Amino acid sequence: MSLTGTPRPAADAAVAVAVSGLSVRIASREILRGISAGFARGRVTAVIGPTGCGKTTLLRSLNRLNDQRPGMRVEGEILLEGQSVYGRGRDVRDLRRRIGMLFQRPNPFPQSIRENVALGARVHGLWRREEVDRRVEELLRRVGLWDAVHDRLGSSPFALSGGQQQLLCMARALAVDPQVLLLDEPTSALDPHSTARIEELIGSLRERITVVFVTHNLQQAARCADEVLFLLAGEVVEQAPVGDFFQRPADLRSRAYIEGKPV
Amino acid sequence: MRPALRAGRDLGFWALCFLALAVVVAPSLAMVGTLLQQAGPALSLHLLTATTANNGLQNAVLGSLLIMLGVLLVAGPIGVLGGIYLAEFAPTGRAWLLRLGYETLAGVPSIVIGFVGYVLLAQELHWGFSLLSGIMALSAIVLPYVVKTTEVALLQVPSTLRDAGMALGLSRLTTLRRALLPPAVPAIASGLVLALAIAVGETAPLLYTLGFSDQDPSLSLFQHPIGYLTYVVYLNATLPTRLEHEVAGAAGLATLLLILALIGVGRLASRRAARFRAQLPT
Repeated sequence: MSLTGTPRPAADAAVAVAVSGLSVRIASREILRGISAGFARGRVTAVIGPTGCGKTTLLRSLNRLNDQRPGMRVEGEILLEGQSVYGRGRDVRDLRRRIGMLFQRPNPFPQSIRENVALGARVHGLWRREEVDRRVEELLRRVGLWDAVHDRLGSSPFALSGGQQQLLCMARALAVDPQVLLLDEPTSALDPHSTARIEELIGSLRERITVVFVTHNLQQAARCADEVLFLLAGEVVEQAPVGDFFQRPADLRSRAYIEGKPV
Repeated sequence: MRPALRAGRDLGFWALCFLALAVVVAPSLAMVGTLLQQAGPALSLHLLTATTANNGLQNAVLGSLLIMLGVLLVAGPIGVLGGIYLAEFAPTGRAWLLRLGYETLAGVPSIVIGFVGYVLLAQELHWGFSLLSGIMALSAIVLPYVVKTTEVALLQVPSTLRDAGMALGLSRLTTLRRALLPPAVPAIASGLVLALAIAVGETAPLLYTLGFSDQDPSLSLFQHPIGYLTYVVYLNATLPTRLEHEVAGAAGLATLLLILALIGVGRLASRRAARFRAQLPT
């Protein structure tokens, strides 16, 4: 990892996560080419773009999930509330507690349902022992899973449907009280009902949590997001409020992408 | 192709499959049959109550069980920890070197490992023919299997679980313990069981390190040779009397039973592993 002297992102009071001049290379392949973007605090930003444009790499750079990948080099700057994410001495585990993530496919731990929700909070020392049950219930109610699982908190999560498992993962992510939530196509493997539930939840997080939301589904982006970040071949084409982006795209490539034409 | 021709071809194919199966099954049946027939008259409780000095097997059965326990205690932890290190922690270059190491060890003939054990352990360290020398030599033989099965078991756990642990800010150790090991445990266990089955069946490395004794094993680790089943097979088959031959057959049968029991346990474990994997996220 090396950091080069790129301009520091503008200190924008409304921006929770600021990315500037971010380049990511894996071996000789340049996945992100010096992109800059800002994720507004308490807002939902949809990251869209064709497969392979670097959406997931961007997401995984924000919580340093690619750190272990061999041959990986990150240049540029990412600031979380003004603090460098890749800065020397940054506590990566604390960073990842602040920046939660939901993945394409639900990936609950091979532990009980209760333990899935409680493990992170307990490891980070956030809950007192006597409040665990209450907190677990609170979170499961918040994601709308309580009624389905309240009588089997001690059993395996793998008996749940895919949608329920994803909601459980959402509860797990929310349990450690993150400031930012990264969603990597969280509904692409889900049925319409669970998808609606997840979208509802994303809406309910607005104002409290900054959401960065990768999706292939433009309708979903239009429904859920406040802002859109359009990536193409590792570069930012456009970042704009959702209404502007879909009605008056500033870039011809954005217009073509929205209309389903080749870009 | 005409239907009759196709039917004929299918029949031929199935006949070949059946033949192949028979070729595999027949020797196993012959083995069990011969051992039963050979051991026949000697099969009685006397085998378990008398030592080899009196044409029983008590000391040899106890010895073999003791060796299994020792190998489980030595090769088990070292092999499992080694496999975990390789799968989860070793940087690419070092992992490559370690893999080369255990693959080489796996390729060393067991008689050579026995000889090295004799020189290094029995003589240099003055352990003599002893339980510890034998356990160490056998552990060196089965270690690569344990390392390999542990490594593979962990690599088969979907990496989305690794992501889940990391993204939650868990340490690598917590991720390992809470997310990766639970689904890997049955496969690791079946690897351990296989290693024990190999250990019980080995003779060559023990000739140099464990020696042999007609007496029941003491728990002394040093300087006390110990009897074990496969040696009885080897020795008694060369002895002159009919009874001694029967004891050789009985010892062979006992070894086979031990191994079959271990394979059974291993099967159960790997079936559990498969069921566990089927539930996991992809």
